[in-house]
Amino acid sequence: MHRLLEFIKLIYVLVLFVVLEGFALWTYATSSPYTEAKILSRTTAMGAAVSGAVTNVENFFALPEANRQLTERIAELNEEILGLKEGCVDTLYRGDELVEKDSKFRYHYASVVSMTTNRKHNNLILDRGTLDGISKDMGVITPENELVGYVVSCSDHYCVVQPMLNIDFSTGGRLEDGGLCVIWWSGASKYEVEAKEISVYSEPNVGMSVEVRSERLPEGVLIGTVTEYELNSTKSAYSAKIAIAANMSKLDDLLIVENTHYGEIEELMNHTQE
Amino acid sequence: MFRSVPYIGMTIILLFLQIFILDELSIAMWLRPMLFPLIVMLLPMEWRTIWVMLSALVVGVIMDVSLGGAGLYTATLLPLAVMRRWILYVTTHRSVESGDQTSLLSRMSLRQLMIYVAAMFVLHHSLFFILETLSFVTPLRLVATIVLSSLLSLVISWPILRLFISKIVTK
Repeated sequence: MHRLLEFIKLIYVLVLFVVLEGFALWTYATSSPYTEAKILSRTTAMGAAVSGAVTNVENFFALPEANRQLTERIAELNEEILGLKEGCVDTLYRGDELVEKDSKFRYHYASVVSMTTNRKHNNLILDRGTLDGISKDMGVITPENELVGYVVSCSDHYCVVQPMLNIDFSTGGRLEDGGLCVIWWSGASKYEVEAKEISVYSEPNVGMSVEVRSERLPEGVLIGTVTEYELNSTKSAYSAKIAIAANMSKLDDLLIVENTHYGEIEELMNHTQE
Repeated sequence: MFRSVPYIGMTIILLFLQIFILDELSIAMWLRPMLFPLIVMLLPMEWRTIWVMLSALVVGVIMDVSLGGAGLYTATLLPLAVMRRWILYVTTHRSVESGDQTSLLSRMSLRQLMIYVAAMFVLHHSLFFILETLSFVTPLRLVATIVLSSLLSLVISWPILRLFISKIVTK
């Protein structure tokens, strides 16, 4: 008690000053809307700064918890990788590549750098190039397994893709009933491509899905669905309009598909042509 | 009691001067002399801080009531009272003991006295104008107001200060 009184005696001037000064400032602060607003904004800013500093300190001391969570996540991922290696699923991750197990197709992740959709010769630039293992003629699909186009040229770090929305684009397609066709773009609509040379023995229907038929891509890659079809004038084949499955104006993250046997196929084709 | 009369007289004169003359002068927005801090500066140095602070409170309240300061005058005078001894020590390297009965102000050289008064004026005017504007949008104008007003206050107060020290404090 004696020490407390001594302590109060030691600091009473300071305490009294703080009380009187605080009261004077409070009276002044509440004397007009201007001073009230100004002082309120200053004290709020100071409060925010103090709060921010406290949060930073709290975050610093929360680092062990974050580390524990990350370690748990690493353990989960390790288990997943082991499961994949043991063949529980059909795909494997190698670095940033997704490889189909016992498959000739290898997948590379890529992001769209720039693209056009309003021209006759539209192009798409992706952030992967030859240094990432990308080369000409590789297929490009969405993560939902929908066709986008094919790689037409590469630099070290980037590649140019010829999308379906390019009048020079052409690829093979297969209707749901097995009928083959050639897919191309007339330039009329950025939501539709054309299918031509559909066999008269095929039975196209509206709503029928059309998949890619190409050595550059695995089976099951969707092009779109038939919206209308007709027999050509010579009645030798059908032609159809296909609504593109991929949203070509909202492409972001894509997959570049590499056929590891494509070089062999290309060489064989060249030999045959010679 | 008799010793206090000159100080009370000086306080009344300075308050009168400030309220009825200096505050009515409209020289310029950035030139506003204020003499009333002199009351706190000239109070006996041997006085304990608590008495100086209570005196400053009384002067501040009178100024606030008279000029509608709403606490502004009190809020700027109180720190002056608390920091008086510290400023004196920093500017003149002289420390004051509570039991010191000799008048320190009369023993200071003119240079030391000027530094002490100027420092007190700058401190008071800085607090006053910053609190009054509550804005740093035009910092140059704020600094100019503080410096020029402090300078003018020093110039006006200097004869009063010298007269008071020579006629009252020395005796």
